[in-house]
Amino acid sequence: METTFKVYRFDPENGSKPDFATYQVDLPDSATVMDGLRHIRDEQDPSLAFRASCERGSCGDCALRINKKGRLGCTLKIAKTVKNGVVTVEPIRNIPVLKDLVYDLEGFLWKKIKSVQPWITPREPEPKGEYVVAEEQLAEVRKAMSCVMCGLCDEGCAVIKIDKDFVGPAALTKAYRAVFDPRDGQHNERLTLVSEPGGVWDCTHCFEANGHCPLNLEPTDRLFEVRDEAIRQGIRSGTRNPKVQRHYDSFLNSVKRSGWLDEGRLAIESEGLTNIAGLAKLLPTVIRAIPKGKAPLPYFHHKRPGAEAIRRIIDKAQRSEA
Amino acid sequence: MKYAFYPGCVSRGACPELYPASVKVAETLGIEIEEVTDVGCTGAGVLSRDLSDPINARTLAKVEAMGLSSLMTICSTCQGVFTQANHRFKNEPEYRQKINAEYLAEEGLEYKGTVEVKHLLWVLMEDYGVENLKPYIRRKLTGLKVAPFYGCYIRRPTSIIAPKGLSGRKTYLEDLLDVLGAESVDSSGKSKCCGFPILTVNEENSMRMVSDHTGDAKTKGADCMVTPCPLCHLNLDANQPTAEKRAGTQIGMPIIHLPQLLGLAFGFDEKEMELQRHIVSTEAVSRQLEVSIRS
Repeated sequence: METTFKVYRFDPENGSKPDFATYQVDLPDSATVMDGLRHIRDEQDPSLAFRASCERGSCGDCALRINKKGRLGCTLKIAKTVKNGVVTVEPIRNIPVLKDLVYDLEGFLWKKIKSVQPWITPREPEPKGEYVVAEEQLAEVRKAMSCVMCGLCDEGCAVIKIDKDFVGPAALTKAYRAVFDPRDGQHNERLTLVSEPGGVWDCTHCFEANGHCPLNLEPTDRLFEVRDEAIRQGIRSGTRNPKVQRHYDSFLNSVKRSGWLDEGRLAIESEGLTNIAGLAKLLPTVIRAIPKGKAPLPYFHHKRPGAEAIRRIIDKAQRSEA
Repeated sequence: MKYAFYPGCVSRGACPELYPASVKVAETLGIEIEEVTDVGCTGAGVLSRDLSDPINARTLAKVEAMGLSSLMTICSTCQGVFTQANHRFKNEPEYRQKINAEYLAEEGLEYKGTVEVKHLLWVLMEDYGVENLKPYIRRKLTGLKVAPFYGCYIRRPTSIIAPKGLSGRKTYLEDLLDVLGAESVDSSGKSKCCGFPILTVNEENSMRMVSDHTGDAKTKGADCMVTPCPLCHLNLDANQPTAEKRAGTQIGMPIIHLPQLLGLAFGFDEKEMELQRHIVSTEAVSRQLEVSIRS
């Protein structure tokens, strides 16, 4: 198959600006994008830099932006992605590029993954032999075990796009793997750790990550499960973001009291009833909304029919959590 | 076909213009709706699913008890939460039975898993038929440049929200705008998060999303944006002045609820659609509509 490869080129050492170079390749229909890159490097331009390792989608090394989508170059066939005879290959987004298609994973991925401490800290006392874990106890963990840390979920993350400090779905998927491991002895400490600013609560739950994971591990669902487990353990924020807990508690109390959301109360209680500076910050929005009839009066929130049944459900569910 | 109607919290609270606009559109089209009143908030993705799933199963059981099989929403967030919960109820019968036994039985309710939850947008495009809207269009929105803004919950997770056979859901707003005579303006963030879910947690990031989305629509030449989600509306409209201030720029992008835009095309005036309630002035939209009428 004759294909035009448009490949991102950048070499900071020669001071040139990033640009695309064009190469013609003719490879069998079964060839992957990585085969194409190797062919270019071996036959046409030995200066082309890219990462590759396992060649079977198991290491995540060759995560690239191919025809504007985050993909693994070694498992994507040229025939599957080619558009009008062209395959465009770029580094993934939101990441410093070292050279051509080689990017710096330290700040983008490794630092964040390390920050969630993705290792098991054994429960005490340690058994004399090996830890014995039944297969069914690992059912949850297996949902995240095969993550290859390619970073493509972070590449598509709407929050990381604007805030590089957000820990991101890749690291939180690793956190999930440890949180649900029955051998781990740091369950609540770990849940508190990922609840700190920039952690699980900073996710918008937009489900972009699910669409970007090449292994279909549904990182947003994993993240939801970590958050729900934290709530089950009574952890509704980290130690440095109490507003998150106030927001959750106010939302819950509102639904529990009247069956539906008291938006005015939520805004006030999230800031904190004694937080004068926080409440003052709400004023401009409230002043704009009042004349438009868009500022519901807080606390004067009528009960919906069925509110008592909703309250009973919440009470019961909270008892099961405890 | 008759629908149970779930208006959600925001259409009665901070976006009170949405509820009457939706009802007027349904009445105009002869879509029969009956509000399901004695049910709770979906949890909006905020509450733990341990709490929200039983509440939502109860709502769906109430719909079944009304003898109906379809629930119509007017909020993408309600839609998204319902769709995901309903997916679990339908595909995990043991889970559904557990919720029935533990939470619903004492009220004499049982959710059998028969309800389809559909946003008004989906009702129009899949059940009513876009061609059948044409006789009701009294005022073509010709010349009005509209940037569709889906937000996230009505687009993802794709495997559940827009599965095989329903992938057309990704372009329903554009398809609808085409029928109404408006021009679609493609903005890069149309299916991204509006930032509302993290407004409290990380206001800075949330406001950045607002200025990015509204600013991009303005750069692309849109007269307004249209959204099927009142939470997107809240952030993009009510918080736009704050976002402008943070970004150090003036944007002034009017944000229109989907039912309001339909209402304008069906001949309701701006006041009947309560555009005056919006924080960002919608005068630019009115001016363009005047031009359309004269020409």
